[in-house]
Amino acid sequence: MDLVRDCLDKQLVDRHGHKMGRVDGIILEVGDGRIPIVTAIEIGPVCQASRFHPMFAKVVKRITNRFGVVQKDPYRLPWSKVIPAGIEVVAGVEAEDTPVLGWELWLRKHVIERIPGA
Amino acid sequence: MKKLLEISLGIVTSVGGFLEIGSIATAAQAGADFGFQLIWAVLLGGLCVIFLVEQGGRLSAISGHTVTGAIRERFGFNYFILLFIILSAVTLLVLSAELGGVCIALEMSTGIRFQLWAIPVALVIWLILWKGTFGVIEKGISILGLVTISFIVGAVVMKPNWRSVLSGAVPSLPTSEKSHYWFSAVSILGASISPYLYLFYSSGAIEDEWDEGYIGVNRVIASFGMSFGSLISVAVLILGALVFPPRGLHADQYSQLALLMQDAFGHTGFIFFVLSLGISCLGAALEITLQMAYFAAQGFGWNWSENLPPKKEARFSLTYTIVVILAMLLVLTGIDPLQLTIISMALTAATLPLSTVPFLILMNDRKYLANSRNGWFSNAVVIVIITVAFVLAIVSIPLQILGGS
Repeated sequence: MDLVRDCLDKQLVDRHGHKMGRVDGIILEVGDGRIPIVTAIEIGPVCQASRFHPMFAKVVKRITNRFGVVQKDPYRLPWSKVIPAGIEVVAGVEAEDTPVLGWELWLRKHVIERIPGA
Repeated sequence: MKKLLEISLGIVTSVGGFLEIGSIATAAQAGADFGFQLIWAVLLGGLCVIFLVEQGGRLSAISGHTVTGAIRERFGFNYFILLFIILSAVTLLVLSAELGGVCIALEMSTGIRFQLWAIPVALVIWLILWKGTFGVIEKGISILGLVTISFIVGAVVMKPNWRSVLSGAVPSLPTSEKSHYWFSAVSILGASISPYLYLFYSSGAIEDEWDEGYIGVNRVIASFGMSFGSLISVAVLILGALVFPPRGLHADQYSQLALLMQDAFGHTGFIFFVLSLGISCLGAALEITLQMAYFAAQGFGWNWSENLPPKKEARFSLTYTIVVILAMLLVLTGIDPLQLTIISMALTAATLPLSTVPFLILMNDRKYLANSRNGWFSNAVVIVIITVAFVLAIVSIPLQILGGS
């Protein structure tokens, strides 16, 4: 499998097909003299920002903490739960059980639901 | 039978949704200043849009990806975010121009200053997005937009010298006001070849659940819809060329645009113009707002669909809400909507390669399109026209700002 071509930046959905974001990062474990092992994928605004520049990651982290949003650090999904499936990557979990929907739920509760007709 | 209906509806919505403040203003001004001489620019832009829209639809139908999603995947987060920032900035200017267009139509019909309309118009746009479905926005408003066909009727009624019209279809060098001529050509190209158009069309193909079976439908809709649409722009240019020069006007104030159909239909022409401007700008404003939210949602991997209730996609609905508010604030500052239009169309032309180059690379990628990749001809048409638009933009925008000729 080509990690960058078949996994990175792909749409991530949970086992029911609910969108969880995109695969923002891939975590490798590197030991002395051992072959690197893929351990997890990362999802979340902090990870996205750090890909652009670490400085932005700090800023995003500060904002996230400020608003009390659930997802403080990028969410790491163990590689054992990752199932590449064509144009998407399927996570063998339920989106609601993970912190990836932190912003979505925070905005839903504090902003969108307060607007009539939502 | 079902496909035939879809094709007709697709063509109708493409035609009804083609015109907007950009194509009206740039074509009218070009006609006023250079007669029929710039018709080639409208046709060149139209040709490029046919190809881009067809390709956007094909990519989505075959691969199941939107163009935005595919760009993020293929070119990574950093390219996506750069494109997102630049395209959002330019598109926001275009959106403000469209919003301004609706406000001008309302000012023309009521006499109340356009800025005062900014808040109610923004509220209506937001409400339609908040409550409406994709079908209402794509089909409903575009069908009303068929009123813009009145420009074609108007142009025919005015009995232009068709021989001169045809000679304008061939590119020619300007005899005077050289930099203004090229700047006008750039604005026309930018107005026709808006990235939001093919990005939106590609999102629409996913919303309407297109698959491989829609390749033919897509091709017919793109070519007929966009060709007829371009003919309306040509009609506006013809009217501009016939109406403004005898009066010594340059169509440089938006109030003058109302004269476009006056000679052809008298006061009825004024009503047709106001309706055309108002409806087409409203339709464009809805599509652009929605596209900006699609762009964010698809690139970041959020839930997105105009058919879901806002609660199910908080980030998506919040994005379009913020976008409408920003555009509204820009109109409220009282910037002249006509100048804003011309500038934003030229900027669109200057930024075209940023979105079209990666798009073309995708269109040639076996992984996304298998055997439905672009042929050399499709590639060549887009590359040549985008290069022309970009080079002209880079050369003529600074000249126009410096005021040289």
